[in-house]
Amino acid sequence: MRNMKNISKFLIGVWVLFAFSGCESFLDEPKPTDSLTSDAIYSSTEGVDAYLSGIYRNMRAQYEYSTDVATTDVGGIYSMYFARTVKGSDLIQNSWYNFDYENDNREPTYRRVRVTWQFLFDLVNHANTLIEGVTNSDLPDADKQIYIAHGKALRAYFYFQLALEYQLSYAVAPNAPAPPLYDQVSYEPKGMSTLEEVYTLIVSDINDAIAGLPDTRINKSYINKSVAYGLKARILMAMNKDWDQVEAAANAAYGGNPAAALAAGEYSDGFDDIEATEWMWGMDQQADQSNYYYVAPHAFTDHYHDAYYGTYVDANFVSDFSASDVRNLFQKLYDVPEGDFQEWVTSKFVFSFEADIPMMRTPEMILMEAEALYHQSQETEAHDLLFVLQSNRDPNAVKSSATGAALLEEILLERRKEMYGENGIQWFDAKRLQRGITRGPNHRVVVNLEPNDKRFYLKIPKTEIDSNPNIEESVNDGR
Amino acid sequence: MKKLTLLLAIFAIGFYAAMAQTREITGTVTYSGDGSSLPGVSVSVKGTTIGTISDIDGKYTIRVPETATILVYSFIGMQTLEQPITGSVMNISLQQETVGVDEVIVVAYGTKTKRALTGAVTSVGSEVLDNQTAISPLRAIQGSAPGVNILTSGGQPGENPTIRIRGIGSVNLSNDPLIVVDGIVFSGNLNSITANQIESINVLKDASASALYGSRASNGVILITTKSGKYGAKEAKLTFNAKVGFSNPAVDTYDLVGAEDYMKYSWESIKNTGIYRNGKSEAVAASDATSSLISTLRYNPYNVANPVGTNGQIVDGAELMWDTDWYDELTNDNAFYNEYNLSATGGSSDINYFVSGSYLNQDGAVIESNFERYSGRVNLNAKLKDWLELSTNNSFSKSLQNYPNQAGTSYTSSLQWVYVVPNIYPLYARDAQGNLKLDSAGNPIYDYGNAGGGQSINAVRPALGGENAVSSNMINDILYTRSNLLSSSSLKFNLYEGLTFRTTFGYERYLYDSYEYDHNQYGSAASVNGRVSQQRSITESTTWTNLLNYTKSINDHSFSVDLITETFDYKYDYLNAQATGFLPNVKVISGSTVPESVGGYVNQERLVSYLARADYNYKSKYYIDFSFRRDASTRFSKDNRWGNFFSVGGSWILSDEGFLAGSEDISLLKIRSSYGELGNNQGIGYFPYLEGYDTGWSNGDNSGVLQGGVVDPNIKWEKTGLFNVALDFGFLNNRINGTIEYYNKKSIDLLFDKPLAPSLGDPSIFTNVGTVRNTGLEFLINTVNVHKGDIYWTSSFNVSTNKNKLLKLPQEEIVNGTKKWMVGKSIYDFFIREYAGVNPADGNALWYTDGDEEGTKVVTDDYSEATEYYQGSALPDVIGGVSSYFKYKGFDINIMFNYSFGGQIYDSSYAGLMGSLESAGDQLSVDIADRWQQPGDITDVPKLLNSNNDYNATSTRFLFDNDYVRLKALTIGYNLPTSVLDKVNVQSLRIFMQADNIWTYQSHKGIDPEQNIAGTTNNRSNLMKTISFGVNIEL
Repeated sequence: MRNMKNISKFLIGVWVLFAFSGCESFLDEPKPTDSLTSDAIYSSTEGVDAYLSGIYRNMRAQYEYSTDVATTDVGGIYSMYFARTVKGSDLIQNSWYNFDYENDNREPTYRRVRVTWQFLFDLVNHANTLIEGVTNSDLPDADKQIYIAHGKALRAYFYFQLALEYQLSYAVAPNAPAPPLYDQVSYEPKGMSTLEEVYTLIVSDINDAIAGLPDTRINKSYINKSVAYGLKARILMAMNKDWDQVEAAANAAYGGNPAAALAAGEYSDGFDDIEATEWMWGMDQQADQSNYYYVAPHAFTDHYHDAYYGTYVDANFVSDFSASDVRNLFQKLYDVPEGDFQEWVTSKFVFSFEADIPMMRTPEMILMEAEALYHQSQETEAHDLLFVLQSNRDPNAVKSSATGAALLEEILLERRKEMYGENGIQWFDAKRLQRGITRGPNHRVVVNLEPNDKRFYLKIPKTEIDSNPNIEESVNDGR
Repeated sequence: MKKLTLLLAIFAIGFYAAMAQTREITGTVTYSGDGSSLPGVSVSVKGTTIGTISDIDGKYTIRVPETATILVYSFIGMQTLEQPITGSVMNISLQQETVGVDEVIVVAYGTKTKRALTGAVTSVGSEVLDNQTAISPLRAIQGSAPGVNILTSGGQPGENPTIRIRGIGSVNLSNDPLIVVDGIVFSGNLNSITANQIESINVLKDASASALYGSRASNGVILITTKSGKYGAKEAKLTFNAKVGFSNPAVDTYDLVGAEDYMKYSWESIKNTGIYRNGKSEAVAASDATSSLISTLRYNPYNVANPVGTNGQIVDGAELMWDTDWYDELTNDNAFYNEYNLSATGGSSDINYFVSGSYLNQDGAVIESNFERYSGRVNLNAKLKDWLELSTNNSFSKSLQNYPNQAGTSYTSSLQWVYVVPNIYPLYARDAQGNLKLDSAGNPIYDYGNAGGGQSINAVRPALGGENAVSSNMINDILYTRSNLLSSSSLKFNLYEGLTFRTTFGYERYLYDSYEYDHNQYGSAASVNGRVSQQRSITESTTWTNLLNYTKSINDHSFSVDLITETFDYKYDYLNAQATGFLPNVKVISGSTVPESVGGYVNQERLVSYLARADYNYKSKYYIDFSFRRDASTRFSKDNRWGNFFSVGGSWILSDEGFLAGSEDISLLKIRSSYGELGNNQGIGYFPYLEGYDTGWSNGDNSGVLQGGVVDPNIKWEKTGLFNVALDFGFLNNRINGTIEYYNKKSIDLLFDKPLAPSLGDPSIFTNVGTVRNTGLEFLINTVNVHKGDIYWTSSFNVSTNKNKLLKLPQEEIVNGTKKWMVGKSIYDFFIREYAGVNPADGNALWYTDGDEEGTKVVTDDYSEATEYYQGSALPDVIGGVSSYFKYKGFDINIMFNYSFGGQIYDSSYAGLMGSLESAGDQLSVDIADRWQQPGDITDVPKLLNSNNDYNATSTRFLFDNDYVRLKALTIGYNLPTSVLDKVNVQSLRIFMQADNIWTYQSHKGIDPEQNIAGTTNNRSNLMKTISFGVNIEL
């Protein structure tokens, strides 16, 4: 029993010792393993590069803002572009995106309206967070300048899309209500701004970006100075003003030498490789970072690789292409009567889980330059430049005799022929120039848009109205 | 060592009773209450298998060895009597068992007598567990534990139910109770525990009962105690039981339209679009519909080009080539079930053991679904010294779960397939003329709805193209493998009179492997030659508990004090890999050509705790106890990690007071009450207080991170204050007994995603802002209805209510899917538009909207104009169960119902089936027959319309009452008489038929009434009803 007493003393001693020592360090040991602190991000260029990479990845992610909108037609930025594409008359949709094709996907509770808004503002917030983090960091000033310029280029791009999606063209009414403006990280929701205010920020941002960004970059999925020039040309074009600056920016974007900037032979390569000569900016997919079947346009327009087989080409549009044009990639694949909406398909885009997505190409720059020349009454120069592209695409091309409005029409048609399917070029042009869109009879659903039709822009999502005290339900009156 | 050898010997050679010198004992057994004779009483020699049973007159004769000293008399409902052998005639009188206030039950960190309890503890034992086929054991307590709402989502065998104890105390954190197995907090999957190895499941519902679990206790605690042997010179008992049965869906699915009707409805929807959207005349619209029907549906199940004529009817001579019943193709009839358990238990004066092995295999409702489990357990207690006792409980289990998609919206989700794909789409691929396409071996090929190569019809299915759920269920694999090692060992030192010290070490290792294979030739991964994705995680938890107890009685005063320290370490180690490019029949990642993704991380949390408990009673009549726990959790920042939790409880045994003590009728009246404060830190994430940039966002070869949103660095656990008051009663020698109980549970500092405007980029910030209150009443009554002669009949009934009310929110209102949170409303009140039927003039759907005058409503056909209103709650008003047990001689019947009334369900599957064919090619319910067809039609089903509309958008049109009563368990058994068994040296042999979920009454049909707490559907497979036959043998 004496033995017993010793044991009990010993035990209680050990217990007391354990109980009242060392528990704080025991508790401090576990640390997160799958996330980094902001200190770690902004203390090195590698850290900021990683955040930039994350933002670009997010731009092309299968965006899942909430489970009820995690559907195939609301993916990354490409889904916004493809929705614009199918709103036009060149392609016919019979799959996901049908509501966009019917120009009907614009009510405050509809997913296009909610997701485009949330997605772009999420990205705006990341751009603001990046700018703020870099500004407050101890990085060398030279690095800071580059990253801040990069952040502003992104912010300009995102706000440009918001302005396009949620209001008519700038030229219609600069004072029209536009999405709220956040030029820094904010926790307080703001009310609607005006197009004037939004475009002021966009233009100032893109000018800063051009000034601060170098030509070098990690790879073509990141914005550099050339891409920033291209964005500036698009922005001013959308504002329908400063055509001299459009001309200069577009020219700077592709370098001013059309022959070097074009590679007609690549056109039929499938539009799936970011390394193509003409690609200035793209989304670089690889097998381990794929968006799988979400990727538009490839997963829809390609009728030769297993996906949706959902997009056809309007016969009227097909007839605009000459037989020797490298862009004439149309086939009558299906055994259907003439005039059937399934008559024509295109093999422009080749689908695979690794297909890259074009965001900006040199021919667009050349055509922007040509159009800018036209608007500055330099028709000859405009026509010559247009023909440089036309003859590059078709060795048998014959220069037209068009002048005046007909020449503008020819430039606009060339833009469609060059870029259909990529970024909703027809919708963009119709919107900025306040034109309508008329569909031919073999469309599956014939819906025509009048100039400045309300269906050119979306209503403000109900989710925003519900949680933003500065935006009233009445914001959608008349929209 | 000797004992261990003996134990091994028992297993190695079995055993038999050697009877050498014997003598005969005879006698009569009577009931002390009325002196009537008792037939069927088991009479045995203590510590042996020698036994007999009394005859119809209560008489018995038994031959016992000369060495025998004690006879044991036992009979259900009577107190077991051990009587020393005094002569060759032993007449015995048995007393009725009082449903025991002195019964010892397991509570937090120890045991207590029922009499001493001040808290709310519901104990469920083998009488409930043994009568059900509950693969996940907690499903068995549904309907038996008042205040505990249990529901099982879906019919995949092996899935764990959702458990809510006394309402919903948290909005965003976990509402799951803490599960403790043999004293160790359980971190694995409950389906690894075999019900057959469980002695009891105790539900701790109030603060007094659960406060010792502190920061993890506010959702209640469930203590699972496994079986063990008993000290005492009883000989070993070997038990074998086997059950074999078959299962079918417990309820029928919706009635869906056939191919012919579907073609006609589709025609009508296209025609209506022509008339009502595009302004065509009726004739033009009809003829356009006829000509465009097939190109819209993209398949033609008929043998003519335009099968539906301009009159909307099938044209003459058109014949159906297929009419696919997808439900039939995707579900099992008579899914097979079998289960076997073998256990040995026994003990001597200083050692006891329980050893068990089990095997179970059950097929599920959806084709290919299956669950298979192997489990083993060794529980051992040994008195090593007079001052030292060793206890060790060890189990290992492995399960394999074949889990074809049967919920959710993935393309291969089986029930979604049934609800979306109409019969006009074929199971097997067809050419444009409708002929079967055959592979090189001449076999049909499954139709994936994505045939290329220029085939214009019967090629591309509009809905769920690129997949075929029947085929994918068969050729793809989704297999979950789990193994679980759970061990807890303790040493108990008797230090001094009344003073003990116990140190317990618990270790759990749970390995979970999720393996998916997508076929290399067909389906979503065909274009990349197949995909394998595999995730593996190892969960390890270690608990070390040290408990010092001092118990002392001085005259009428008794007290007991515990001082406890505990450390808990939890580690979750995750790894995944995914790759594509496989040769046929190669299904392991090593066989891939293209790696798609890899990932891995380690999460760890720790908890350090100091606990104290003090119990005091006076004359075993007045009880008071106090519990305290101080926890530090790594889930919170250094400044916020420590928290204090406590409870105080008291009880008064009223029936022992002088003025009642003499009463014949009142056996027990006890009032008890408690109050305490508990916490909740589960489901909060591991480091919710740290703002971070999440990895996993690489862009090409460049590492990428993305800022994970704003966080509140001062985030804390949620806290619940819980008040409980109860009356326990027993009348007529406890033949009627029960409890009536009231609770008020207020949870504060609830964590909310405080919503931010979408334009701020971050959708929300997670912070401690809300308050919710749960109040409820629970009533339980048990009765012994008849106890006379051979008949023994008991019943039990329980009912509980719960009212859930939000008291504080981060903002005035938060819309959460179909619910809206507002102060004064519950977490699960539906807030959706109110359907107003169909406009007889144009067939458009109508909804209500606020009129110009306050409080008035007008109708609108513009869905976005319609106003959302509160429409009732998903939470039921009352839940409970009714059961009854009846025994006559060797026969017994056990029957148990559970019920739920007053909840609502929003059935989005049915909404999908009642669409207007807005998108061509979606399946329809037969109820679509009531649709509006022409001006003047009075109906509540809008017209068919093949263009964008809101007809079946979320509204009360698809909100239904979800009352149900389910016959959860029915067992009919027969115990062979001892007279037969004696001859073969068998102690008992029971054969039985058991039926689970055999009958269901439900107010809304088409889906299982058990969906989820929120009252929403998700294409879940139905629960199964199982009929099985079994045998139970004790040697």
